[in-house]
Amino acid sequence: MIFVALTTILLLAPLIVVVGASFSASQFVVFPPQGFSLEWYRKVLSSPEYLNAGFVSLNVALLVTVTATLVGGAAAIAIHRKQLPGSEILAALFLSPLVLPTIIYAIGMLMFWSSVFGPVSLPVLWISHTVIAMPYVIRTTLAVLSESDPFLEEAARTMGANRMQRLWLVVVPQCLPGLAAGAFFAFNVSFDEAVLSLFLRKPGLTTLPVQIYGQLEFSPDPSVAAVSAIMIALTVILILVIDRFLGIKKFANA
Amino acid sequence: MSDRIENLLLVLPGLLLLALAFFLPIFQMLALSVDGPEGPTLAHFSRFLGDSYYLGILWRTVKLSFIITAICALIGFPLAYIMARVGPTLRLWLVIIVILPLMTSVVVRTFGWMVLLSRSGMIPDILRDLGLVGRNFALMQTETAIIIGMVQVLLPFMALSILGVITRIDPRLEEAARTMGCSFLQTIRTVVLPLSLPGIVAGSLLAFTLSASSFVTPNLLGGSRIQVLAASIYNSVTQTLDWPFAAAQAVILFVGILLVLVPYINLTGRARG
Amino acid sequence: MANVRLENIRKSFGKVQVLHGVSLDIASGEFVSLLGASGSGKTTLLRTAAGLESVTSGSISIDGQDVTDLPPEKRDIAMMFQSYALLPHLSVSENVRFPLRMRKIGTREEQAESVRGALETVQLGHLADRLPRQLSGGQQQRVALARAIVSNPKVLLLDEPLSNLDARLREDMQVELIEIHKRLGLTTIFVTHDQEEALGLSDRVVLLHKGKVEQEGTPADMYSQPATVFASTFIGSANLVAATISEIDGVLVARLVDGQTLPLPANIAKRGEVQLVLRQEDMTIGGEGQLKAKVRTRVFLGARNRYVLSLAGQEIRVLAGNDEIFSRGQTVSLGIDPARIRVMSD
Repeated sequence: MIFVALTTILLLAPLIVVVGASFSASQFVVFPPQGFSLEWYRKVLSSPEYLNAGFVSLNVALLVTVTATLVGGAAAIAIHRKQLPGSEILAALFLSPLVLPTIIYAIGMLMFWSSVFGPVSLPVLWISHTVIAMPYVIRTTLAVLSESDPFLEEAARTMGANRMQRLWLVVVPQCLPGLAAGAFFAFNVSFDEAVLSLFLRKPGLTTLPVQIYGQLEFSPDPSVAAVSAIMIALTVILILVIDRFLGIKKFANA
Repeated sequence: MSDRIENLLLVLPGLLLLALAFFLPIFQMLALSVDGPEGPTLAHFSRFLGDSYYLGILWRTVKLSFIITAICALIGFPLAYIMARVGPTLRLWLVIIVILPLMTSVVVRTFGWMVLLSRSGMIPDILRDLGLVGRNFALMQTETAIIIGMVQVLLPFMALSILGVITRIDPRLEEAARTMGCSFLQTIRTVVLPLSLPGIVAGSLLAFTLSASSFVTPNLLGGSRIQVLAASIYNSVTQTLDWPFAAAQAVILFVGILLVLVPYINLTGRARG
Repeated sequence: MANVRLENIRKSFGKVQVLHGVSLDIASGEFVSLLGASGSGKTTLLRTAAGLESVTSGSISIDGQDVTDLPPEKRDIAMMFQSYALLPHLSVSENVRFPLRMRKIGTREEQAESVRGALETVQLGHLADRLPRQLSGGQQQRVALARAIVSNPKVLLLDEPLSNLDARLREDMQVELIEIHKRLGLTTIFVTHDQEEALGLSDRVVLLHKGKVEQEGTPADMYSQPATVFASTFIGSANLVAATISEIDGVLVARLVDGQTLPLPANIAKRGEVQLVLRQEDMTIGGEGQLKAKVRTRVFLGARNRYVLSLAGQEIRVLAGNDEIFSRGQTVSLGIDPARIRVMSD
């Protein structure tokens, strides 16, 4: 249907434009691109600012992936078991960072950190990104757990499994797909996060999105397009990987 | 070790993280918003609410958010319905098309719009060629640009929210309506629409919340002359370094969102009985 | 193999009391069925025996050892769940090996040997490397059974294991369960709501009703001598018909509500207002019969017919063959062997 086609164009246009403009040979960011050149990619990959920003982003994202998955996964398991009082409230609490607008959290964190610890540094990025990434892990893990056989742990007990064995050999394998998907979402969320990183930055502690934003506020040249295209490629790879693990469909309804 | 303790240990790291790194900073910010040299004061709030400049920003933010939400709902509902009713392969593609923008950085997406909508961008070009606008037409730095950019950002949220609800509607209900004489549009109006309402409402709340608090897209597409609340907050934090004022604005934003959210929660809570 | 003793088990969930003091002695190697409707407490009782539920009061001992406060993992049991509860990420043989791993029984080679043996017993040796999701329902159920017997537990607990199977598979599995029990002789507690299943598989049937033991005994006794109204209607498909018993000219007679009379054998002791227990399979339609009834509906069952009749204003059911078909509205004669009539006071 035409409607679907138009909507598809609406949704994908900016991405296509960015990728297209990145190959342009001209000095200006234009679409459709004039000429074909990989010059801007070369520029990006040899630019210290972009490389540094990329490194910071990667660093934070990897750290966040580990902590969000571990902490979020453990919390999800505890919430799923529904044996703690107020499990519903707990679930809502853990998902609340999703509901609160990031900008409010960003300035809250900036003000808090400054008053307690002083200037911002990598740890505050790590912690705040983990806070907003954790709900994704919890959501995907809970989704997987809710479809698992509720009797598995009991069966394991009747087979002689103690607490640790049940956790490691039964529960964790059960939610592994959820943990994996959550981990990739966490990486993606952290890597792409702009607002938090914008408020919690200082020279040398700039993430890639923030670097791009900085360039955009002035007059960007196509190197911005190139670096953005690289980010898009990263996202596409992540989506493909998540789909391999569980099928995107499951999380379309989350 | 009992079951309780095991679960407590599992949930504790997360709880601590939330308590110390999420709730605490927010409460501290709340406190900061009423901070004054001689104790708690509402001066920052009255400064904001008493100044027509700031009220203008607030009004613009709210107005834009409503428009954006409405457009997202108008496009998102048919999109979600189509996604729910097509075959699995097409649906998968549509889901990917919807999710892809969602998972790219907002900065990248907005940049794309900047290119498209700028003076020499493709869209004004096309409109000029079609003779619809004059020579100097530019979409950048207008509220329209903000709306277009935000709609693209938020449409996936809306569509997925409604999709989740529509997939739970039994297609046989629609078939039954058709066998009772309803045309396609009537079926949509009398069966699908009422049943998808929870998804539409949830999606609208999400869209409204995200629009009202959005920073990157309005800033880049609207320019410094068209400010939304988030931009004003950013200014107070980084330019004027008036943190209590920034905190007050954040609280106003937060309260505004709650005002829209709370009735919804009450409604759905009552519906669930 | 071990004996199991449940003493005065009471169990409440919050304010709701589910078990009201159940005592049960199960001998070593005995196959006992806990039979009852939903809500009778049979599954709860099984789960307390497993340790998955704690008891509010009472005690449980296995082989003379008090296990009341022991969690399931420390009791030497094995349990088969209604939904099989196979670990989806492990292969069939790994699933069957799991209890041996957990309870640290045997070396790797010995474990492999036991697993092989258990899978042979349920005739699934050829599927050892498959994953549970690649198996049919019936095959998954056999894996669950193999997993339950492989560790040679003191007590085998089965929670309605056959409920999810279709009729034919169910019959096959029932036969297999009987043979496995004969061969291995494990003390078994089997929960079911199907009275035919309980009668067919068990050494002893325990009928539970509202959290109490209604009656227990051998299958034959339970079938022929139900002691209460509930037992009569639950086991064997009986009809209850209201009547008044009195002696007329030295002959014992039951008088139905519509005036019809039915001579009774002299050994019936009860007098006055009673319920006559008339089994569907004990009655005959057509031919010579003591009573008259009117046909309401006929349900064709293939080999037999089930007739719904109106007798003295009450609806009763009778099973009959295909030799003669009676149609709706027909008045038919209803006969019963007097020796088969049981009588129950209200």
